[in-house]
Amino acid sequence: MSQACLVCQNIDCKSRGSEPLMAALQQKIAAKGLTDVEVKSYMCFGACQEGPNIVVYPEKNWYAHVKPEDLDEIVEHLAGGPHVKRLDTIDSSLKELIYQLLDTGVF
Amino acid sequence: MEGILFPHAVPEGREGLKEYRARGGYDALANAIKGTPQDIVRVVSEAGLRGRGGAGFPTGKKWQFTREAPETPRYLVMNGGEDEPGSKKDRVLLENLPHLVIEGVILSAFAIGANKAYLYINARYDAAIKSITDALAEAKAAAHWGDKILGSDFNLDIEIIPAPHNYVAGEDTAVLEVIEGKKPLPRQKPPFPVTVGLFGKPTSVNNVETLANVAPILLKGADWYRKFGTAESPGTMIFSLDDDVNRPGVYELPFGTPLRHLIEACGGGLKSGKPIKAIMPAAPSSAYLSPEKIDTPLDHNSMRDAGSGLGCGVVKLISEGTCIVEEVLRIADFFTAESCGQCPACRMETNALSMMMKKVQAGQGGQPILEQFGKILAFNKGKGFCNLIAMPGPPIESALKLFPADFEAHLTTGKCPAN
Repeated sequence: MSQACLVCQNIDCKSRGSEPLMAALQQKIAAKGLTDVEVKSYMCFGACQEGPNIVVYPEKNWYAHVKPEDLDEIVEHLAGGPHVKRLDTIDSSLKELIYQLLDTGVF
Repeated sequence: MEGILFPHAVPEGREGLKEYRARGGYDALANAIKGTPQDIVRVVSEAGLRGRGGAGFPTGKKWQFTREAPETPRYLVMNGGEDEPGSKKDRVLLENLPHLVIEGVILSAFAIGANKAYLYINARYDAAIKSITDALAEAKAAAHWGDKILGSDFNLDIEIIPAPHNYVAGEDTAVLEVIEGKKPLPRQKPPFPVTVGLFGKPTSVNNVETLANVAPILLKGADWYRKFGTAESPGTMIFSLDDDVNRPGVYELPFGTPLRHLIEACGGGLKSGKPIKAIMPAAPSSAYLSPEKIDTPLDHNSMRDAGSGLGCGVVKLISEGTCIVEEVLRIADFFTAESCGQCPACRMETNALSMMMKKVQAGQGGQPILEQFGKILAFNKGKGFCNLIAMPGPPIESALKLFPADFEAHLTTGKCPAN
């Protein structure tokens, strides 16, 4: 099933480096040959203090405080490896809100 | 009925010092300056004057807080940013009745013990700035402000500050930031400006119309003032009607006047000639009212009980045949564009609401998307430094409740029912 990696590109996440992070993620995904994963920017997930934030959708995994050194593990996960548990720090009520929003097609 | 600010009719042209003096102008100042500042606060409190910038806070109380704050110096700020779309009242007062406003400023500064007042005026209001500048020169020559006002020990300096014309620049703490030479970004509250305001000192920020009421109250007394309006909202308010009615303009009406009077007798009804579909009593941030609520009295409590608000009196009408989805999409986009961006929650909320409403307009998302609006609003409730985060909620939630068919039509056919 194809997945989207939604990388927040709003002010806070950007100030925490989400722009180069998104470019690096794109490269690593291409290098890994994951053709069914698309990297897209997102406006805001409402978890600015915990950025940069990346949400993998529709499988619904949310990675917070992502640093460049975390990307290899995330790409491994996208290739079928284990979920990166230590980056899964977001409160479940916010997750639910954002996932519902994504389910209604708001990208 | 006679008015308080516009005694006979909406004024035309600039009222000069001589004309203003001829109708008792600056008499209130001459009397008050012989008494104590507390006398002014007491009379204005007894009159029940409430702020006209939107929140309706009791003016006497705001002044009392400012007076009682231990720090000095204290400042008075006149908020004439007037960034509310469709609002014209402050411009009319500044342009046509500059001395009424200035006398109010001087009296208010005396009341709170401020020796410096800033007049914050929308930078696009060239004629208003010119009118106030000229009136200030006239008033200074007559010793109404400056050193030793009318021979008393009270000194007051007054300075005009042009206001940037984005929406949040009218928020009272953003006003303080601009006067301090910074960007118009609201501050976190508390502390409130009455204790920590301009340059960190106690500051009373009052709307132009609020200040314009001060001289008439002091000249004619609280009992006279209370003959207008209702017990909770004494006096009058200036309402702005836009081009959707036959006679757009500003109308001063006593609080408690039925909304119908403003719309029909003053505005001459809808220009479109169609029946009214919805009324927004405080555009763009209040809940829509259905046309059956047209007899609701125009006062703070009645509007709140009817499910909406009075704001700063910009009344907008929606004609039958207009699609409410298009209306609220415009409103959602307005707040997204005007969010200053410093609070993450506000950015997230306004962006999400805009995107969701665009989906609805395009007929995407089905019924579940409609349920997301309330959730996003509830999630962000109470967050953010200023009130902008709370503004898209009332129009969107009332539109969903009152006009479900419009949303349904977009979602099922992808087409606007108005076309």
